[in-house]
Amino acid sequence: ERGGNNSFTHEALTLKYKLDNQFELVFVVGFQKILTLTYVDKLIDDVHKEFRDKYRNEFQQKGTLGLLNGTFDFKDDFMRLLRDAEESSKVRAPTVMKTFEQSLKSQKTVKCMIETRGEKPKEKVKNKKNKGSKKEGTEAVAAPGKASAGDKQPSAAGDREELTKDEILQKNREEFFKRHMKAGEKSSKSPKPDAQKEKGKKPRVWDLGNSNAKVLDYSNSATNGSAETCPVEEFDPDIALGDRNREPGRLYDLEYESDDEAEEEKVIQNPSKPSAKKGGLGGMFGMLKGLVGSKSLTREDMDPVLEKMKDHLIAKNVAAEIAVQLCESVAKKLEGKVMGTFTTVTSTVKQALQEALVQILQPQRRVDVLRDVMDAQRHRRPYVVTFCGVNGVGKSTNLAKISFWLIENGFSVLIAACDTFRAGAVEQLRTHTRRLNALHPPESHGGRTMVQLYEKGYGKDAAGIAMEAISYARNQGFDVVLVDTAGRMQDNAPLMTALAKLIAVNAPDLVLFVGEALVGNEAVDQLVKFNKALADHSMAQTPRLIDGIVLTKFDTIDDKVGAAISMTYITSKPIVFVGTGQTYCDLRSLNAKAVVAALMKA
Amino acid sequence: QLLTGKYRDTQTSITDSSAVYRVSSDKSANVTLIDLPGHESLRLQFLERFKAAARAIVFVVDSVAFQREVKDVAEFLYQVLVDSTVLKNAPALLIACNKQDVTMAKSAKLIQQQLEKELNTLRVTRSAAPTSLDGSATGGPAQLGKKGKDFDFSQLPMKVEFVECSARGSKGEEGDADFEGLEKWLAKIA
Repeated sequence: ERGGNNSFTHEALTLKYKLDNQFELVFVVGFQKILTLTYVDKLIDDVHKEFRDKYRNEFQQKGTLGLLNGTFDFKDDFMRLLRDAEESSKVRAPTVMKTFEQSLKSQKTVKCMIETRGEKPKEKVKNKKNKGSKKEGTEAVAAPGKASAGDKQPSAAGDREELTKDEILQKNREEFFKRHMKAGEKSSKSPKPDAQKEKGKKPRVWDLGNSNAKVLDYSNSATNGSAETCPVEEFDPDIALGDRNREPGRLYDLEYESDDEAEEEKVIQNPSKPSAKKGGLGGMFGMLKGLVGSKSLTREDMDPVLEKMKDHLIAKNVAAEIAVQLCESVAKKLEGKVMGTFTTVTSTVKQALQEALVQILQPQRRVDVLRDVMDAQRHRRPYVVTFCGVNGVGKSTNLAKISFWLIENGFSVLIAACDTFRAGAVEQLRTHTRRLNALHPPESHGGRTMVQLYEKGYGKDAAGIAMEAISYARNQGFDVVLVDTAGRMQDNAPLMTALAKLIAVNAPDLVLFVGEALVGNEAVDQLVKFNKALADHSMAQTPRLIDGIVLTKFDTIDDKVGAAISMTYITSKPIVFVGTGQTYCDLRSLNAKAVVAALMKA
Repeated sequence: QLLTGKYRDTQTSITDSSAVYRVSSDKSANVTLIDLPGHESLRLQFLERFKAAARAIVFVVDSVAFQREVKDVAEFLYQVLVDSTVLKNAPALLIACNKQDVTMAKSAKLIQQQLEKELNTLRVTRSAAPTSLDGSATGGPAQLGKKGKDFDFSQLPMKVEFVECSARGSKGEEGDADFEGLEKWLAKIA
């Protein structure tokens, strides 16, 4: 469910991965973090495409057995691709794509930029990557568009190098004139901003003098605006024309752009970096065409549905950024997937989102407190639970509920009143203790007082009280120690430090963050800052972070249960308890399916 | 670690953690084997998807790491067993103690005993957990085995067997997988 990112860093290595949803493959590239290799994304896309094309048949026919039995003789291809990528990244001639465009627009003919050999593959691959990021759909469209070219230029990376330069040039010309008529796909514009950023400032080209007004009308076209801010390098367009190393891909992009300019349409541009995000809304028309042929999901299909889902989630009190990330990861997961014949896009997306939500809410690790308490019992040490949270979320109330539950299961509890700040905190806990003891008198538990309060009054150091309480519990043989702390705002640095100290010094078995279900976007901030404070102020190698969440005041929200999602998403820790009222019995555990059902309900 | 389901090949390379793939074996009848990822975040998801269709379940246990992971193993097994769909269909259950070629591997008997003990405690703790939000009890109605008595695998409504096996085989990487027990069991249920 966290599929939104595509890179992962661990020690000195960074891994970037790419999913192929159609065949359920993952392509992973690992490299050293200190080297910022720019060709990594390209490389992974090339590899992906090549691998898929090569072994497509095997996948389709044999399914898994094919995977298991097939020997993938990919090493040679891979080495080749790797070499190409490395080469291309090394050479960075200062020629600008913009130059090309400008000259192109001005001349309205095929022109090539002066480039070194190495540059071309890079640009080409960039474009290919950009197009490749739309998977089948785009290529299906691109293919008809390039039908005249007749070669699989968008597909196999390796094939490019084999076309001779003359052929390339020729094909480019043909394609250009053909495509000049078509409505352009705007998606390919995104490489341009990329290219811009990488080149430095260049002096403006002088051949704009003979350009028509359209070209100089920068204000109209959105892409032109962004691109033309970079001054263009001097170059001679005639020489550029004679340049052999034009790759088809580059021209492909430019033609679309010039088409765009010719029409002077304001299609929504998607200038984001193609490596991170896939898709451009500008290609929508192309996508629709592609849909008729194959039924694989593309970004464009999913976008409107995802928008609606995102708004729905936010309306259900999920934090805004979480909702965005969730939708993003669902999109990534579904992209390129082949749908069944009778499923709509909406239903597929809903299904995927539902699965992702259930996945988030379900605990990754065991959430069995009783089991752990039994373990600690066996080792003759008390099981220490610490409650932390902001003001007024219900720490003390839920602490009492949890101690009731523990007593019901036959464990003796020591409550440590480490809230030395709030007036009446200690008295509150004392009242709870008295009531609990009344409910479970010592006689019925073999003469043991089940609940005891350990307090040292107000104004003292909380960490010290906690430490004393734990050793007292160990001496007296209590099974569980529940430590109640004062509520504090996450921005309050000295208080956060104090809390971190308490946790670091006493090393509790379970650190529970108490959060109320009414909180909205604040939940993200609270949890992040709490965790950060705990991590920063701990001396140990592996700091104790929040281990679980107690979601309180659940009875006050009807079905706007989004806070649960936000909290578990941020911490990836389970929700251990849910508080649903103010009596001792109002303690529940989380039912992931019910919560998700409530969330997805219209 | 634990995969519910099985693959059948003499390859030693295993791709863990993502794919669900179907392998069909052939004994007298045809049986489709489905391998489910064991990664903790994924296992429940896939279990949900396939539990209704399962004729039988093979629960693979790493005999070497068992001692360390006994709680996790038991918990997952508990979840499988307590599931209402599973209880209703009562598919045959085979607990395959894998990696027997490694010297430190525990025997099937030992694993059985340990699991029974763990499941015993789990029964108690799980049923005592706070009830779920909408009132449905978490481990409640499905009480494994008989109350009052210690948990025993024979108390389950389904047939449970323990088998030792080894995917690698004793001859090292290229040796044949030691699947006899598994194959026999498969033939029985097919």
